[in-house]
Amino acid sequence: MRPLLERARENLRGRRVLAVMAGKGGVGKSAIAALLAIAKKAPLIDLDLFGMAAPKFFGVAGRLHKVGRDGIEPIEAGEVKIFSVGGIVGDRYVVLPGVSQGGVVEALLAFAKLGGAEEVVVDMPPGMGEELLTLSRVTNFTPIVVTTPSAASYRVVKHLVDYLLELGRKPATIVTNMAYIRCGDNAIYPFGRGDAVRELADRYRIPLVEVPIDPHLEEYVGQLHNYRGLVYSVVERIAKEI
Amino acid sequence: MHEWSLALSIVQSLDKWAFQQGVEVRHVVVSVPSVSQLDVEILKEAFDMLKQDSRLAKATLEVKVRSPRYKCRSCGHEFGQEEVDAQIKALMQRYGEEYPLHLIPELAPTFIRCPKCGSHDIEAELSIKIEEVETI
Repeated sequence: MRPLLERARENLRGRRVLAVMAGKGGVGKSAIAALLAIAKKAPLIDLDLFGMAAPKFFGVAGRLHKVGRDGIEPIEAGEVKIFSVGGIVGDRYVVLPGVSQGGVVEALLAFAKLGGAEEVVVDMPPGMGEELLTLSRVTNFTPIVVTTPSAASYRVVKHLVDYLLELGRKPATIVTNMAYIRCGDNAIYPFGRGDAVRELADRYRIPLVEVPIDPHLEEYVGQLHNYRGLVYSVVERIAKEI
Repeated sequence: MHEWSLALSIVQSLDKWAFQQGVEVRHVVVSVPSVSQLDVEILKEAFDMLKQDSRLAKATLEVKVRSPRYKCRSCGHEFGQEEVDAQIKALMQRYGEEYPLHLIPELAPTFIRCPKCGSHDIEAELSIKIEEVETI
């Protein structure tokens, strides 16, 4: 018997787990997850064991979690409560064979002190590896799938959506990130119109939301909790709808 | 302090299991990897406090601290804890009370390198497991 798996299940029981995921890396999934946590006022669990983007977005990289009798205390940035392996290892790389990844994810989910949170946002790593399998073992999560309009991203996302539907976990929404950039009254679509993504969403009746590029977002890396720009406005709308 | 949250995990998971089985627990054997540096006495003390009002109220806890065997997946070298003790000690000195393997022993490959080839690509059984349960 594995007590951490049971504890992780117990820790997430009765909470809605919003898992922000993408088959592909580099689509802005961690930024969407972080902004969703802000908009929802929900704890953010960073399961991207190797990227650990959450502490970097909020300027808390290198800070370590305090551990009490009843679990891991969150690292706080503004109103956001963050849990990350970065808060265990500090500001250094993580390298792990696949067999160890599941145990690390279980431990983080088991010991995170989530308090009275009814919703929890999870930032998933790219791909469909051990972290996704472990989250599936632990809880009946609600997927939020992030892609870009690019055909390169679409093929990967389609496989992810196919897998999630096979699991019976229909995404609450598909987010087309970096969809367009405003230039005066016009919108420019640098990565294409995203027709394939739209068709995918239509086919499975999954709501689709386009998120614009905001060049000012970069200025808030390290203090994302203070960002309320264009991307946040759209994510805030998503937060209200899901 | 982590011993308390671990003890709670053990009590919660076994209490649920015992309820499903319609039994009470008399004795539990838990095995933990030595790299976790868990304090067995604190773990037992926490278990005894937390088991009250559960189906483990009369249970005793036995903790086996096992010394992992490691295998480097890069060069094939198999080695015991004694070959990485110096690395573990250095890690404990560096992190102090926030020693990461205390909380998550499965993170060991991030910090431990094969003593022969230097690779982090090492595997070992590092999980915390309930090995045996005696019931009434």
